[in-house]
Amino acid sequence: MMKWVLFIPELYYLLMAVVFFACSLSRRLQSGVLYRWAVILAGGGLLATVLAVNQNGFIFFDCYRVDLYSQLFKILLALGTFWVIFSCSELQGIDSRYHAEFFLLTTVCTLGMMMLVSANELLTVYVSIELSSYSLYLLVPMRKQTEIYVETGIKYFMIGVTASAFMLFGISFIFGVAHTTYVPDLVKTLPSLIKEPAAIIGLVLTLCGFFFKQALFPFHSWAPDVYMGAANQVTTYIATASKMAAAAMVIRFVNLSGGESPLFTQVLVGLAVLSMTFGNLVAIIQKDLKRLLAYSSIAHAGYMMIGILTMSEHGVASAIYYSAAYLVMNFACFMVIMKVADDGRNLQIKELAGLHKRSPLLAMTLMLGLFGLAGIPPTVGFTGKFLVFAAALRKGYLILVIIGMINATISLYYYLIVIKAAYLLEPERPYPDVRVDTWTRALSYGLIVLMIYLGVFPDQFVALTEAAARSLP
Amino acid sequence: MTSMEMAHFPILSTILLSTVLGLLVILFIPADRPKLIKQVSLGFAGLGLVLCLWLYQAYDLQKGGLQFVERFLWVESLGIYYFNAVDGINLPMLLLTAVVLFTGVWTMWDLELRVKEFFALVFLLVAGVYGVFMSMDLFWIFVWYDVSLFPMYPLIAIWGSTRKEYGAMKLTLYLLAGSALILPGILYLWAQAGGVTFDLFELQKIGFSPFAQKLAFIFFYIGFGILAAVWPLHTWSPVGHVAAPTAVSMIHAGVLMKLGAYGILRLGMTLCPEGLAYWADLMALLGTVGIVYGAFVGLAQTDLKYVIGYSSVSHMGMVGLGLSTMTVNGINGAVFQMFAHGVMTALFFSAVGYIYDRTHTKMIPDLGGLSRTMPVASAFFIVAAFSGIGVPCMASFWAELLVFLSAVKTYPVRGILAVFGLVVSALFMLRVVQRTFYGERNERWAHIPDVPLFLATPRIILVSIIIFFGIFPKLMLDVIQSAVIPFVGSL
Repeated sequence: MMKWVLFIPELYYLLMAVVFFACSLSRRLQSGVLYRWAVILAGGGLLATVLAVNQNGFIFFDCYRVDLYSQLFKILLALGTFWVIFSCSELQGIDSRYHAEFFLLTTVCTLGMMMLVSANELLTVYVSIELSSYSLYLLVPMRKQTEIYVETGIKYFMIGVTASAFMLFGISFIFGVAHTTYVPDLVKTLPSLIKEPAAIIGLVLTLCGFFFKQALFPFHSWAPDVYMGAANQVTTYIATASKMAAAAMVIRFVNLSGGESPLFTQVLVGLAVLSMTFGNLVAIIQKDLKRLLAYSSIAHAGYMMIGILTMSEHGVASAIYYSAAYLVMNFACFMVIMKVADDGRNLQIKELAGLHKRSPLLAMTLMLGLFGLAGIPPTVGFTGKFLVFAAALRKGYLILVIIGMINATISLYYYLIVIKAAYLLEPERPYPDVRVDTWTRALSYGLIVLMIYLGVFPDQFVALTEAAARSLP
Repeated sequence: MTSMEMAHFPILSTILLSTVLGLLVILFIPADRPKLIKQVSLGFAGLGLVLCLWLYQAYDLQKGGLQFVERFLWVESLGIYYFNAVDGINLPMLLLTAVVLFTGVWTMWDLELRVKEFFALVFLLVAGVYGVFMSMDLFWIFVWYDVSLFPMYPLIAIWGSTRKEYGAMKLTLYLLAGSALILPGILYLWAQAGGVTFDLFELQKIGFSPFAQKLAFIFFYIGFGILAAVWPLHTWSPVGHVAAPTAVSMIHAGVLMKLGAYGILRLGMTLCPEGLAYWADLMALLGTVGIVYGAFVGLAQTDLKYVIGYSSVSHMGMVGLGLSTMTVNGINGAVFQMFAHGVMTALFFSAVGYIYDRTHTKMIPDLGGLSRTMPVASAFFIVAAFSGIGVPCMASFWAELLVFLSAVKTYPVRGILAVFGLVVSALFMLRVVQRTFYGERNERWAHIPDVPLFLATPRIILVSIIIFFGIFPKLMLDVIQSAVIPFVGSL
């Protein structure tokens, strides 16, 4: 009976989903009241997840594993969800009738992803990923101007189900080769079986599903359209919280091979290089800020892969650090998008003109977020890249690191264009004022402090990620 | 060394803090009080200068080696230390930074556009520069290096002139492309050493394989060489100098470019002596080409800032040539040249800055006969030009003499070519002086007042330093030698 304690964060989110479900049935609830309750509940969820950080053990016939690795990612998920819900005071992009549904689906998606990071068995993985995916498929077309963006939802759904079909196919291969679906058993058996083509094919196909979530090249094609087509808040959620679950699963599954197959590693190296280069080169020509960040996310999936493909403890720790850093920096950028375009429109880069006068604080948050994404010290993004590259060089991937650094330099170009718009350009026409309430102000300060603090004093967090990496099966 | 070491007042961190604190104080002053912001900036810059002067006189020549060590463990799992110290090589650089910051802030007293942001960014930049010069841990050197680079973008793009956005973007991308090579170089050596320490001196003891040294050296040489404007990686430099506002040009050409040369010396040469030996020939060649090329291209320029920009390429070539000789004299000369060139270029740009602010042109054909309208402002430029030529009694005379003496001995043909380059540079400097300050007076500028005493003071300080170290070169050479002699002995 005591084992249910391990499931508390998930139970909390399940309960939260039930509350929102009830809210969605009532049409009398005001948006403001709903928002306030959503923030309080999401805050409680974050608290519950943080309190559960030291839990350890197995439940549900060992299908479910709770360890530091999973708990750390759950905290990142809860944090991302809390931030997104917190900044939803203006849910202008979504019809007010659906606000309760928005919170409901976000919560269910978070629940699915939390289960995903703890899933210890392939079918549980599959069920969890579908639970989270279907919520997202519904969230994306929720936008007000559905007629313009209807294609987005269909595209996302079609590509998504194709990826999950591939994944299921891959899982069947793995089961066929290893005769087990339990991850700890796979960790033991797969490295010796990895020379067999069926094992490699199975692993790669399974990873396809996660690469899709992570938007790694060539599984990225949905990202730019979905980022642009979904409401700003939904995009923020997809770009931040949902990326954490993807990163967690990619790390876990890549490590299944145990680094025993040079071919598999080469495939990953190729994907990392292509993803970084493609994402960065295409981002240069973007005019829409969300689209630009979508391409930048493709590039970042590549950087993260550099750490992951080393398949070492340091590599895993660096990838965890990197994904946490990415959550903070990316959220900072998206929060600025949400606040500047508070009527729910898509934000063009040129619309940022003169932001430093309209809201110095948001301009500063955006600048630090972008500098972080570009990997400029002393931000958390720099430390993340540094750790990832250090882990790769421990394994001797010098060329890969050089390619990564060249890519970081390319990326700086388009990040600078955005910063230039915010700080240097004069607006072509007067843009509406940016309203920054006290809570947003506090969140901005918090993000700024976090981005710099984690960058300059990474020691404790690095130790935590290393401990989490050690707890991987 | 233990993980924690410091038994004295942390003077180096205080110097660093003077800029960080300056930055923070500026951030908290309302933007509508520009005068106060300037006063505070000058105050903190002055504090840094006083501290550096104290440090300079307190440095124990007899003892040599690393002094004023501050060392704490920062990130345990990677072996990163917060490790500051000075020796004979970085001490002159710290002094140079303090001088250029102080005079640069003073020179910008007339600035009116977005004053708060300007000085905040300048302090951020200089914090990075101080950091690089005093850090002895590769991680921190890299961090500070990048911190010093990225404020350049807004500083040029907002306050600059002449194709400022293009110049700013080109400069930023070039310099960060350089750092894209430095980081793999640093991490490569760290991984070769077992991934346990970034401490420069611990790494130095390890003795890397010849292959690792050759590889890492070329990373550092190209990466830092871009910032040091080594030919043919220099193309960002004249464009950037021309686009930048006065104080930024001063800091940039005066101090920032020295970071490049310093990086080659501190990281490349110290950690990879065999790499140095392998690539020294190439270094000497590129240095010589830089000297001759800069001089010839300078000859053809009509924009005063371009003239200085290309003369910088030429003078930084001398630094490269000096370092490549691997002799005591050569490296002494190179480090002294870094200092002398820093002060001299700061003077150059501050002189041109005044002329440009008043006439709104820096084109040589539009000027002419300025020495009759503004004799004092002209005198500053002329002194800098003489210093650039290497006239005796100027600091750069000794620096160039030492470099050429050792270069002619080590690489006879290239040494003589370099001396020839110096003759050409004398030619173009004198031509510029003749056409801009003498000759027929352009009546358009007849009414312009000469530089007032208040604005002349920072320039006078720079002139005094050039002449002071020209007359007493020993005061600097002894300091430099205290580090260079043991270093060359260990090669």
